Amino acid sequence: MGMLSRMTMIVKSKVSTVLDKAEDPRETLDYSYEKQMESLRKVKRSVLEMVTNKRRLELQAGKVQAKLEKLTSQAKEALNAGREDLARIVLERKQSAVSELQALEEQLAGLEIEQEKLTHAEQRLQSKVEAFRTKKEIIKAQYNAAQAQVRIGLALSGVSEEMGDVSIAIERAQSKTESLQAKAGAIDELIVSGVLDDPLNMGKDEIEIELEKLSSSASVEDEIKALRDEIADGSTKQLEEGK
Amino acid sequence: MIVRILSEDQYDLPGKYIDELNSIDNELVDIVEEGSIADFKPKLKKMLDLVRNNGTLVPVEELIESDLVLPHSDISFDEATSLFKGEGLIPN
Repeated sequence: MGMLSRMTMIVKSKVSTVLDKAEDPRETLDYSYEKQMESLRKVKRSVLEMVTNKRRLELQAGKVQAKLEKLTSQAKEALNAGREDLARIVLERKQSAVSELQALEEQLAGLEIEQEKLTHAEQRLQSKVEAFRTKKEIIKAQYNAAQAQVRIGLALSGVSEEMGDVSIAIERAQSKTESLQAKAGAIDELIVSGVLDDPLNMGKDEIEIELEKLSSSASVEDEIKALRDEIADGSTKQLEEGK
Repeated sequence: MIVRILSEDQYDLPGKYIDELNSIDNELVDIVEEGSIADFKPKLKKMLDLVRNNGTLVPVEELIESDLVLPHSDISFDEATSLFKGEGLIPN
């Protein structure tokens, strides 16, 4: 069996066939409409959850950003006081914070994509449910048992498929969010327990880690130099102003 | 023929494209079975583009059942593999 027939089967199987059992087809219409509204509420909730998750990550990123700024000014202070050794330690910490911030930003971008997809699904379902509601009232008004069965069936399968699509989209978004959160949680734990200074070292071999240390200590050196220049500029300025 | 691309839209695709769609579908099955991950994304895109470029968009207010459902454009190789193993779309 090909990919398409499997996919088609999966989507169709998401939609229950209980609907056919009602004695009066008109009841089927109302019952299905309730189900559609429920499905719509579910997708709206998922979008909200996504927004909350993003907000949480943004707060976390904000804290890391603040930490970065604090570390920079600490390094400057240390240099000012002639404690280059201390400045080095502070700047190494800053490198870890930079990696942490990058990881958070990647996760945020991932959630952004999921949110867009769910919002699109929500808008589509909203239109379908609206169309169904109109059709439902028309069918009920011109009710004729023999015809109704067929027309109801057509309208139902159209909207039910949309519900199947939406429910798969929700499941995927949730499973992606869970794995993102698991990753973020694992990094946090390792940092807290001190096992890991640099979260991005995960899964890298020793050579890669050594190379990164080199480039990281190069950035520390660069920054020491930059801070020194800044301090030197500052004092020249002060001297000039003092003239 | 009405074709749905999951999380996107429904299209009305002229019948003459069915054979091409089927043959890409078969190629995708082979790719998944052989585990040729690198070939997967381009082939999937080819399949979705065939529908997007040659089908007419079904208005969203229209309530119509699809004859065929195509996967999400971002379905991963792992998701596709579990789809073939009959585990469904979401791997546990």
